[in-house]
Amino acid sequence: MTTLTCDQVMKQFFAYLDRALSGEPLEDIEQHLEECLSCCDKLAFSRTVDAFVKARVPEGKVPEGLESRVRRALELAVGRE
Amino acid sequence: MTGADGVRPSTEGKTDTAADTALRHQFEELALPHLDRLFRLAVRLTGTVQDAEDLVQETYVKALRAFGALRESEAVGAWLRQILTRLVFDRHRTAPREMAVGDLEELDRFSLYDLVWDEDPLPYSDNLHTDFLAQFDDEEVRRALLALPEAYRVPLVLLYTEELSYRAMAEMLEVPLGTIMSRLHRGRKILERELWEFAKRRGLVRSWNQ
Repeated sequence: MTTLTCDQVMKQFFAYLDRALSGEPLEDIEQHLEECLSCCDKLAFSRTVDAFVKARVPEGKVPEGLESRVRRALELAVGRE
Repeated sequence: MTGADGVRPSTEGKTDTAADTALRHQFEELALPHLDRLFRLAVRLTGTVQDAEDLVQETYVKALRAFGALRESEAVGAWLRQILTRLVFDRHRTAPREMAVGDLEELDRFSLYDLVWDEDPLPYSDNLHTDFLAQFDDEEVRRALLALPEAYRVPLVLLYTEELSYRAMAEMLEVPLGTIMSRLHRGRKILERELWEFAKRRGLVRSWNQ
């Protein structure tokens, strides 16, 4: 077990948030978070920002005619080969 | 001839038009049912319907040409999504978009949380950080996301919308795991910085920090 500083935690902050850590690196961060209210607050804010941006990722419905357009492109592509 | 898995072997070298047409029909039957999901992913990655349409078309044409490389028909959806994603992601290699990512150490130290705390743009708020985010309209957030260079934006969008693990993303984009980790870290830092810049332009925070 390594005692981490806040700066060291910050370097792996998002990997922790994304559950991409395991073993000792994960345990070291969990240990730090048990004792550091500031990092816990930052973590909670980052989760909020993630959810905030995720909910605003552009969305769109398939336009009518796209399938026909793709079929034509495929037909032309075969013709060119 | 069609393989037992339903995927036709490569027709490379053949010039038979009837065979090409048959191959195309087989491809369409297998691949076109994935059009909806591909289009949704394309919009998320490009931000506009027009660009997404072009990207989807480009993906299908590229996939048809590589159809012989598909070994498992069940994998066609993931295979198409990989082709589409790589078309966007690889753009930064051939034509890197200009963006002032700036000094990476400085970027790593950037903290929107700390800046909001220090600036206190909403002095009467009990939920300062959450209320700060609520100041942005949806379009501003989308613009901040789309301003990210592809190298950062693609992994971030995949994380948010496809919910891929770091390892799956590394395999999909054919980059080392460490690259995914640093892109997702710095991508969010750049995004936070963009939000802060929007806040400054909107006058949400004082100008002395500019």
